[in-house]
Amino acid sequence: MAWITKNSSAPIADRTDTPYLSQETKDHFEREIIPRYPTRQAATIPLLHAIQHDHNWLPVQAMEEAAEFLGIPASAVMDTATFYEEFFLQPRGKYTVWVCQSISCEIMGNTKLVDKLSDVLGISPGETTEDGRFTLMNVECIGACGGAPCALVNEKLHENLTVDNVEQILSGLD
Amino acid sequence: MLESPMLLSRVPSVPHGDPADRRTISYDDYVKTGGYEALDKALGMEPKDIIEVVKAAELRGRGGAGFPAGMKWSFLPPQDGEQRFLAINADESEPATFKDQVLIAFDPHQTIEGIAICMRACQLDTAYFYIRGEYHHHRDIFENAIKEAYTHGVFGENSRMGKVNDRWPNLYLHRGAGAYICGEETALLESLEGKRGWPRIKPPFPAVSGAFGRPTIINNVETLATVPPIITNGAEWFKTHGVPRPEGAPPHVPASYGTKLFGVSGPVNKPGVFEEHLGLKLSDAIEKFCGGMMHGKKYKGAIPGGISMGVLGRDQYEAELDFDIGKKYQCLGLGTACVTVIPEDVSMVAMARNCARFYSHESCGQCTPCREGGNWLYKVLSRVEQGDGTTKDLDLLLEVAGSMGSMPGTTICGLADGANWAVRTIMNKFWDEFEAAVSKERFVSLAVVGQ
Repeated sequence: MAWITKNSSAPIADRTDTPYLSQETKDHFEREIIPRYPTRQAATIPLLHAIQHDHNWLPVQAMEEAAEFLGIPASAVMDTATFYEEFFLQPRGKYTVWVCQSISCEIMGNTKLVDKLSDVLGISPGETTEDGRFTLMNVECIGACGGAPCALVNEKLHENLTVDNVEQILSGLD
Repeated sequence: MLESPMLLSRVPSVPHGDPADRRTISYDDYVKTGGYEALDKALGMEPKDIIEVVKAAELRGRGGAGFPAGMKWSFLPPQDGEQRFLAINADESEPATFKDQVLIAFDPHQTIEGIAICMRACQLDTAYFYIRGEYHHHRDIFENAIKEAYTHGVFGENSRMGKVNDRWPNLYLHRGAGAYICGEETALLESLEGKRGWPRIKPPFPAVSGAFGRPTIINNVETLATVPPIITNGAEWFKTHGVPRPEGAPPHVPASYGTKLFGVSGPVNKPGVFEEHLGLKLSDAIEKFCGGMMHGKKYKGAIPGGISMGVLGRDQYEAELDFDIGKKYQCLGLGTACVTVIPEDVSMVAMARNCARFYSHESCGQCTPCREGGNWLYKVLSRVEQGDGTTKDLDLLLEVAGSMGSMPGTTICGLADGANWAVRTIMNKFWDEFEAAVSKERFVSLAVVGQ
């Protein structure tokens, strides 16, 4: 999402007394991750991944906690978080469906897939279903062009999709 | 035809094996099949001699630019006792590129061995394997392979490499978070430092001041995976593969020696990644390795290696895929050698629009020509695609595209050159389609612009 500005500073979630950054994560980072780099700031992206893994998105409070832990300004963490496509600064569905729209997938017919998924889920790309289960994303190349058109559901890759089998990628999920 | 693969020697691929039989090669399996012998050999050599071998092999970077790897390695300043880094570029995000993932997922130790040899040759103590965020499965496999390498004394305390810069050598995996620009080497370094992936102004070059302000070498996965076979078999053996420099060319003109991973996607019967001599003909890649076009579709064009390289036209079906392709066939270069085949029934206006959208979306936003120009191209191409374009729009597209990039000298990095070449070559080589898509009756007036 590179240069497209994200709504980063608006507090969407109320502040909580329970920290987003758990002591366990802090200990793990202090022991394993931070010593890998000459600066603490370098652990920003791994730390944001860890927080997002636990909470599914990155509230402002979480980024502030990360900044405090790393000893850098909160603005530096937000600056980084707003740059990358994978960091969600607002709540998203339990499952994120990333449908590739780059060249090989377009040649192999990805637009029909997106239309079908939009119909099935009742949302447009970029939106989340009302029950909070699915977020649909149109993304650029996910590096599985040999199996175009392809899509990721959270971390699982699905290849060689067609209008007829695309619904299956949503089945079997709790 | 390539008799025995050097990169995919353990990974079944067409025509030597069935890709369905691929499985991840463990450390033990790797060692049983001659793995880490090249590292042992390299450990018995002087670091500068290793660089000389890679230089003599004329190995060119496999990440897209084709810069001679041995020369890159020799740019480092002398050691000063402080840290020196290797960053491995596994941020494979160029649309239609999916070659490195085969090495990462199925034979990770060949790359790790190449990393270790590079660290020995250049006297680097810490390596970061920067893998794109979307490679979840690959990340797990590589993480596991790194653990195996630590267990068997390749890295870590008591590494067989000994101390480098008074430190035990380490290899860490660093996960990106979804940004194409982080494949640009200085953007990758910024990202590694925990910042936004904004390319740096060069000089200083990374070899002098790279990650954390220290000397850093950045190499593609495939480049490093090619190093162990070169060390084992020697530079002359490597140069029996691929294409020598054109007759009469002076020795400083780099040739296209060696083999290369090719990945073909699009409407072919068996898309996939395979290894072959550089210089493979596009027609052979499609017909001999990928089973021809799907459902009897007809070839119309192809993108030789990632969309930033531009396009090969209708009459360039026989193009040889080597590093000279740019000069011979009016495109930017070989790129990653991952070919996208475009069939007759797909509109080239749509293809140009798809490329422009990609660059407009992935621009980091630092330089105005790229940030604004990319979006401008996308909007105008969308208008032409919908049938609302005029002849003047085509001139405008060529003008905007031609003025963005590091080669016209208007941007910091080469991302905009990708947009430039993709749009311009598609338009120039398929001008008839663009001309047919616009109205020659309609004129642009201020009233129309104002709507």
